[in-house]
Amino acid sequence: MIVRRATLAGALALTRAEVADMFQYRVVLFLYSLWEVVHPIVYLAVWGAIAGEGDVGGLRLSDFAAYYLTFMLVSHVTAAIEIYTFGPMIQQGELSPHLLRPMNPVWVAAARNISYKSVSMLLLIPVWIGLVIILRPAYSVTAGSVVLFLVALVIAALLSFLVGTTFALLAFWTTRSFSFWEIWMGLTFLLGGQVAPVELLPGFVQNLATALPMRYTLGFPIEVLLNRLDPGELALGFALQFAWLFAAALIVRAVWRAGIRQYSAVGA
Amino acid sequence: MRILRIVAAFLRAAILKETAYRAELVGNLFRSVINIAVAVGGLAVVFSHTSELSGWRLEQAMVLLGVYYLVQGVVQTALSPSLNEVVTEVRKGTFDYVLLKPVPSLLLSSTRRFVVWHIADVLLGGAIIAIGLIRLEAQITFGVAAIFAGVMVGGIAIVFSIWLALTTLVFWFVRVENITMIFQLFFDTGRYPVEIYPFWLRSLLTFVFPVAFITTVPAQTITGREPLVAIWLAPLIGALALLAAARFWRIGLSRYTSASS
Repeated sequence: MIVRRATLAGALALTRAEVADMFQYRVVLFLYSLWEVVHPIVYLAVWGAIAGEGDVGGLRLSDFAAYYLTFMLVSHVTAAIEIYTFGPMIQQGELSPHLLRPMNPVWVAAARNISYKSVSMLLLIPVWIGLVIILRPAYSVTAGSVVLFLVALVIAALLSFLVGTTFALLAFWTTRSFSFWEIWMGLTFLLGGQVAPVELLPGFVQNLATALPMRYTLGFPIEVLLNRLDPGELALGFALQFAWLFAAALIVRAVWRAGIRQYSAVGA
Repeated sequence: MRILRIVAAFLRAAILKETAYRAELVGNLFRSVINIAVAVGGLAVVFSHTSELSGWRLEQAMVLLGVYYLVQGVVQTALSPSLNEVVTEVRKGTFDYVLLKPVPSLLLSSTRRFVVWHIADVLLGGAIIAIGLIRLEAQITFGVAAIFAGVMVGGIAIVFSIWLALTTLVFWFVRVENITMIFQLFFDTGRYPVEIYPFWLRSLLTFVFPVAFITTVPAQTITGREPLVAIWLAPLIGALALLAAARFWRIGLSRYTSASS
């Protein structure tokens, strides 16, 4: 993908403006980030209650703590918010002024995504450090796993952004794009590593989770960081993550082109 | 009597108004089915590794999940639409019109709107409870059903009180559109029995922000589990919470100064 320099400069300026804008909503953002803390804690409690002093499929309580604490950060970095930011723009006709600019409006969505995450991450980190002190996770990371984790995390964030944008773009055709998004979120909950680490899913569901894209937006980076995968699984995981990223990029392009052709703003 | 007639009139008006959005019922039903299917799928994953979760069997946990969705449905049908409107009105100053009517402001503020399509969650929650109970082959006597109903009413009273108290903050802070998110944050912990949480969190969820009384205690009574705390505490706490919230509402109301000049 080739991006022109002028576009990059424009995207940077957009992001700066969006960050400044985002700081107005500190309190709301803080509440949103607490949300991302509560759900992992619920599932940490569930698995902790089952594991007790023993283990579940080789995972002890401290391993679950490491998994779900990492989950909090990863789910924050990879959260797709386009259905709330970009979808309404299309529905309410606010897309029109952005179409007149010499860059694709998807960059606006990207700038908002980055600014939201950077500001709310500042609010989330202190809470997270407090939880690490309370929950005492067992982090057995290596330098290699950290590097691979960062790669997997960046791809996961990109993939998630593209998926979120695709669902937001459905607003070109339907006012119910949110229902489709909820199906995706439900599948991510089950197969992406939220209700349980993918390795704990029963037989064929685990194979399904390995093949489908949800895990690569969420659970995969965590598994990489915590050294839960053998070299073969690691290679397969990265191959599938890249493949899904490529597929998602093609899909977004196609959906954008089809959608913009039949876009007509609302209002007089 | 007059109060009942007023509430009935609001309900009738709401139903008339909502029939304009019939497709919403299908949409909401669809969303509820997806949400509940996903939640039950989650339970299936959890229980594929254990036969009981802090002493709860799969069927009992299903009943609890049903209670969660039932309460969620009641909140979205009857509580949040009216109370959210208060937040908007106080900000715009149009809350004056509520105060001018010859009806207690609290009653008017909390029963004006019903989004009847959210009844889908109530129905599906009830269905999940029924499935769980049938699979448990539970013997539901009239007495058990009555206690369950009483505990549920107590739980919903607690929910209403928390929601009302959060809404009342609008009289001090004006911009509180998202404050009710705090409720949802805590309420989401109620999808699972409160026994799974570590001691400090369990205490917080039982006595400070009593989610335990909203989902765990009702599910315990009807599935015949040993109750966490004395059952009669639930309606008692519900009643106390209502009184406290109503009192807080009056204090907040005395600070209302309308908007602009």
